[in-house]
This record gives sequence, C-alpha cells and structure tokens, in this order.
Amino acid sequence: MPTITLIQAINTALDEEMNRDERVMLLGEDVGKRGGVFLATEGLQQKYGPDRVIDTPLSEAAILGAAVGLAAHGMRPVAEIQFADYVFPGIDQLFSQAAKLRYRSGGQFTAPMVVRMPSGGGVKGGHHHSQSPEAHFAHTAGLKVVVVSTPYDAKGLLKTAIRDDDPVVFMEPKRLYRAVKEEVPSDDYLIPIGKAAVRREGRDITLVSYGGPMVETLKAAEEMAAAGVEAEVIDLRTVMPWDKEAVLNSVAKTGRLLMIAEAPRTASVASEVAATVSEELFDQLLAPPLRVTGFDTPYPLAQDKLYMPTVTRILNAAKRLLDY
Amino acid sequence: MVQEKIRFQPFSSEPIRLVDEQGHWIAPFEHGLPPEQLQRFYRDMLAARLLDEKLVILIRTGKTSFIAPHAGHEAAQVGIAHALRKGHDWLFPYYRDMGLVLAMGVPLVEIFGQTLGNAADPAKGRQMPSHPGSRPLNIFTVCSAIASHVPPAAGAAISMKLRRTHQVAVCTFGDGATSEGDWHAGLNFAAVQGAPAVFVCENNRYAISVNISKQTASQNIAVKAHAYGIPGYYVDGLDVLASYFVMQEALERARAGQGASLVELVVHRFGAHSSADDDSRYRSREELAAERQQDPLLRYQRFLEKQGLWDAQWANELRLEISKELEAALQEAQKAGEPDPLQMFDDVYAARPWHLEEQRRLVAEELQS
Ligand SMILES: Cc1ncc(C[n+]2csc(CCOP(=O)(O)OP(=O)(O)O)c2C)c(N)n1
Repeated sequence: MPTITLIQAINTALDEEMNRDERVMLLGEDVGKRGGVFLATEGLQQKYGPDRVIDTPLSEAAILGAAVGLAAHGMRPVAEIQFADYVFPGIDQLFSQAAKLRYRSGGQFTAPMVVRMPSGGGVKGGHHHSQSPEAHFAHTAGLKVVVVSTPYDAKGLLKTAIRDDDPVVFMEPKRLYRAVKEEVPSDDYLIPIGKAAVRREGRDITLVSYGGPMVETLKAAEEMAAAGVEAEVIDLRTVMPWDKEAVLNSVAKTGRLLMIAEAPRTASVASEVAATVSEELFDQLLAPPLRVTGFDTPYPLAQDKLYMPTVTRILNAAKRLLDY
Repeated sequence: MVQEKIRFQPFSSEPIRLVDEQGHWIAPFEHGLPPEQLQRFYRDMLAARLLDEKLVILIRTGKTSFIAPHAGHEAAQVGIAHALRKGHDWLFPYYRDMGLVLAMGVPLVEIFGQTLGNAADPAKGRQMPSHPGSRPLNIFTVCSAIASHVPPAAGAAISMKLRRTHQVAVCTFGDGATSEGDWHAGLNFAAVQGAPAVFVCENNRYAISVNISKQTASQNIAVKAHAYGIPGYYVDGLDVLASYFVMQEALERARAGQGASLVELVVHRFGAHSSADDDSRYRSREELAAERQQDPLLRYQRFLEKQGLWDAQWANELRLEISKELEAALQEAQKAGEPDPLQMFDDVYAARPWHLEEQRRLVAEELQS
C-alpha cells in the first residue's frame, strides 16, 4: 500500500473513477493544463483529454449550472470550485437547480454531480481563502455534504460521491492537503456517505469533530489521556446526513458531548449535533453539550490561528464538561 | 464640451496606441502635456516596478504570505491613476492593482502594512496581502471574490448621478473577471442607468493558467460593450499615454452625463499569477521572453528620451530615491507590530452584539491563561 497525502488520494480517486466510467468528467478553473491550483487534477487532462477535463471560463455559475445540465443529460460531472469561498457566485445554480431538481420534477430529472472544494483556514489565506461554509449546504435540502480529514477517507468517499445519484458537496480542508499522510490501498474501495468513524475509543467524554479541526481534537484527546481522561473521538466525515446513531451511541456511553468545528458557531453543524443530543439524550447527560467553534466574525488574516478551535480551547471546554 | 474633444473611436480593430515600440509619438494630435507631467508618469511607473520587486523580495524572505505581481501592468495602471481626479472620483480596484493604488497616493507605509497584515494596515490585517483600500482616497477595499466589485461600482456610479456629484466610478479587473455573472450584471445596470462608470479590463490574457481563448469567444473584451449599448475601447495598455488619454476621455464622457464605457487595456503579466503559482506549467519561457521585450517602461523611456526628458543619470537618481522611500516605508511599517488580537471582534457590526461580546471574552481569557 502506498503512503500518500490527502491531495494525492483525491487525484487517485478521480483517476480511478474516470478510468472506470467514461461518463465521469471534470470541470473547473485551472483544472486542466495547470492541474488545479492545489494540483488535485494534475495529469488528468493529459491522460483523458480536454473534453473530459475542461478548463472553464472564470464563472462558478457556469461551472455549477453546466454540471447540472451535464448530469441531467447523463454525464457524471465532478466540478471543482477553486476555493469554497468562491462557490457564492454559483450558489443559485447549486441551491435552486442542483439541490432541488429531483424534488421539483417529481423524480423525473436528477443531478448526480460532485462539487469539490478546498475549505477552511490555517494557511494564511485571509478571509476569502479560509471559510468553512458547510452549514449553508447542510441547510439546503437535496444536497449531501462530505468533509474529509484523512487520505484513506478522501479516496473512498470521493469514489462513493461520484457514484451517488444525488448532488454531493465534497469539502477538502486545504490545511490537511499535504499535512497528513497514510497508507491507502491502491485498489477500489468505497466508504459510505453518512457514516462516521470512531477515531479513538473512550468512556469519559465524547469529542465530535470533522475536517480540519480533527487535528486539534485528536491532540486534545491525547493530552486528556495523559491526564487520565479517556475521550472518545468521532469524525463525522459526512455532515449531511450526519451519523446520528454513532454520536448518540457514544454520548449515551460517556454522558458528555463536546462538538468541535472550525465554522462560525451560530446556526452551525455543531449547533445541530448539540441540539439533537440534548433532545434525544437529555436524561442521560452528565453535563450540557458544549461547542468549540470558529467565531461569528468573518475569518481574519492576522488572527488566523486564534480563530480556529485551539487545543487549549478544546481542553478548557472539556474541563468544564468533566467538572460540571 | 466633450463632443469637440472626441479623439478615440470605440470598437477599433487595432489597439489604440499613441507611442510606438521605438518611442515615436504616432497620434494625429499633440499630447500637450508639460514635461513635469510626462516625467511624473515615468516616476510612477518606475515606483510601481520597484514596489513589485520589493514585494517579490518580501515573499522570498517569508515576510509576507501572498503577492500578485503587477509587473507588465505599470503603464495601464499609471495611465488610469492619472486620468482620475484623486480623492474625488472613486476607484474599485482588484488585487493586481498595487501600482495603481500607489500612483493614486496610498501611502507606502499603508501598502506595506497591508502586505504584512500588521498594525500599520488601516484595514487591521483582516485580508490577505494585495487587498488594499483607502477611505480618504475613495478607493474601495479590494475583495478576493472575482468581479464581485463590479455591481457595487455600478451602484456607486448611480449614486453619483442621483446626487449630481460629478464624480466617476472607475472599476478595474482582469480578463477572467469578464466571465462572471456579476460582471455582466454590473455593466448592464450601469449602462441602463446612464451612470458615470468606467469599467477597465487590464487584459493580460491569462486568468491564472487559463488562456483568454478559453475565457471568451469574443474577438476581444472591448467588443462586449456592444451588448450593453456602451462604447468599448480597445487600447494598447503597454502605452502609458494611450492608457491615460483614452481613460481621460472615458472619464470626461461619464462626467458630462454621457454614461458608462468599457476600456480594455491590453497588457502583459510578466510574473506568475501569484506567489502560489508556477506559470511554467502552462506558458512557455519563449512566450514570456518575447513579452518581456515589450516592457512598458522601456517604450516610455524611449519616448521621453526623444523629448530630451530622460537620461541614465536622472533615471538612476530616481531609482535610488524611490528605493530609499520604499525601504524607509517598509522599516516603518515593520515597526508597527501585530494588531491587537481582540480586534478580531471589531467591525463585524457597528456595535458588538452579545454573542460577539461573549466570544471576545472567551478569547481574552484564553490569551491570559
Ligand atoms: C469568484 C472567484 N473565483 C475564483 C477565484 C480564484 N482566482 C483568483 S484570481 C483568478 C484569475 C483571475 O484572472 P483575471 O480576472 O484575468 O485577472 P488577472 O489575475 O489575470 O489579473 C482566479 C480564478 C476568485 N478569486 N474568485
């Protein structure tokens, strides 16, 4: 098994799927000759030609709207939005067309497409290269939303997303692109959408996170272990539909939930998970669910590191839960 | 009256050019500009070039996190700056306009403060480098989202018309920006309203790696103006005087109540798209070398030389003087230090609501522990 980075895992998944199914094609800004600004699509235009890997005009509305039409007509487009921050000029196509096509046509038309986008901060990218807009997508009926955190998951989940019959928003925390490496099988394997992964077992407290802050979450769990506290760590992997069963099972065991996410706090995925746990496990909770998140400010360049959930903030919140 | 001054035809098949490669004035009219102003153009172009070189050093030495080189755009940017009434008209620039904002009078200390994202940045280090803006100079803060500033420029121009301020809103962008829906929406609205707006494309024929042939099937950008019912000027943007005179005419036209126009300044991008880009992946070194032969500074130098307004000694002294200014401003900016971390919670709204107070307290505690 080769040891590869997250970005290589994405590239491999795309390559394998394009090889497997002629309908799979890529479109986006700079995805062709340059191979994507992060090189996720490197080499694929050379291999599959400019018709299957299209360098599009600089228009997210064109990319996403065309993907809807391509998909409705029988292709399997994988659209790249260069940075998640730039999905907004195309959001009407994603929200009004892609997300609701199946529903509003009574199932007659569908848009099986994947929208890949690098998301999150921590790379000194400033406001418009650092946002985590997953809540907008999770809030839009008809979209599935995946946020990966490991190379193994990235490959398995992207392949599943491409074969899925619904539009899938596939978010890739850019700070992990080259920061994490692991052994990834060179053969075909799939990871189901909607299933969380238990990254660490424990019975004192449940830490639930996804994407970029999995790094800080696992670090915090290690520090807790050193202090004799056993944290169970869950990586949601899919935030819509999220794995309620896995979270409830864990919190039922530990009695404590700490949600950790990089996106702003209010009306977030973290809020949703915390609310659901309060509703369903109220009697079994030893403390109220807490959230450690990004702040309700635009993402600031100068405070890049402070904005995201820090290990200190996670540990402080965990302490509040344990001392409650 | 504007009518009497009309010099330039929109939709020309060749780019409008007033000075040829050898530096000859080839226009059918006298330029009529005083020597000091002609030399000022050169100074500003040189300052823009030297600023670009300085920014490249800052990125190489790890002192900043991002730059978008503007070398090759100097003539266009200086031409735009001098046509505007500084501090009166509004400018809606984009991230490659560092030479333009410098020529508009943004203090170098602010430019470096923004580049370093530190306390010398009037915008408090919120955005990535190459995103300047200045309230006192009516320079709208740059937004990374391509073409998102085009409809706001249209809006400002409509306000200028409603309030009869005799200002013009000038909005710049690259060729890639002309593919975005916002671009079309903005031009259309300004045109329909007869608003005093000048939309200026600094066309370097690349949007990162994507060549203009993949961006548009139009013969050039200027012709797109046909669709909106406004004039479109196709201009050699390596010629500072052509850029200046065409811009001036478009601005005067807008000021006289004749509405919006589109100006395409054809330029080169000598550097990569940004410090995060490697342009050898998508364009040949030969192509780049050929473009570098057409350096806008060199062409203008030849022109000045013929007027007896340029010699090597003067240029060297100028270079030295500007280099010193750059270095002094950089030193000063570096001294400003980091912005206060708790500033993160300022300016989200006019007043801080309870939830931001709460979050601010949390960070204050974290910083103390
Ligand atoms: C809405 C949006 N999509 C994508 C990007 C990423 N991006 C930044 S610059 C750029 C190319 C812009 O090219 P152009 O408009 O021609 O200007 P140039 O950089 O060539 O001066 C792209 C795709 C962005 N900033 N905003």
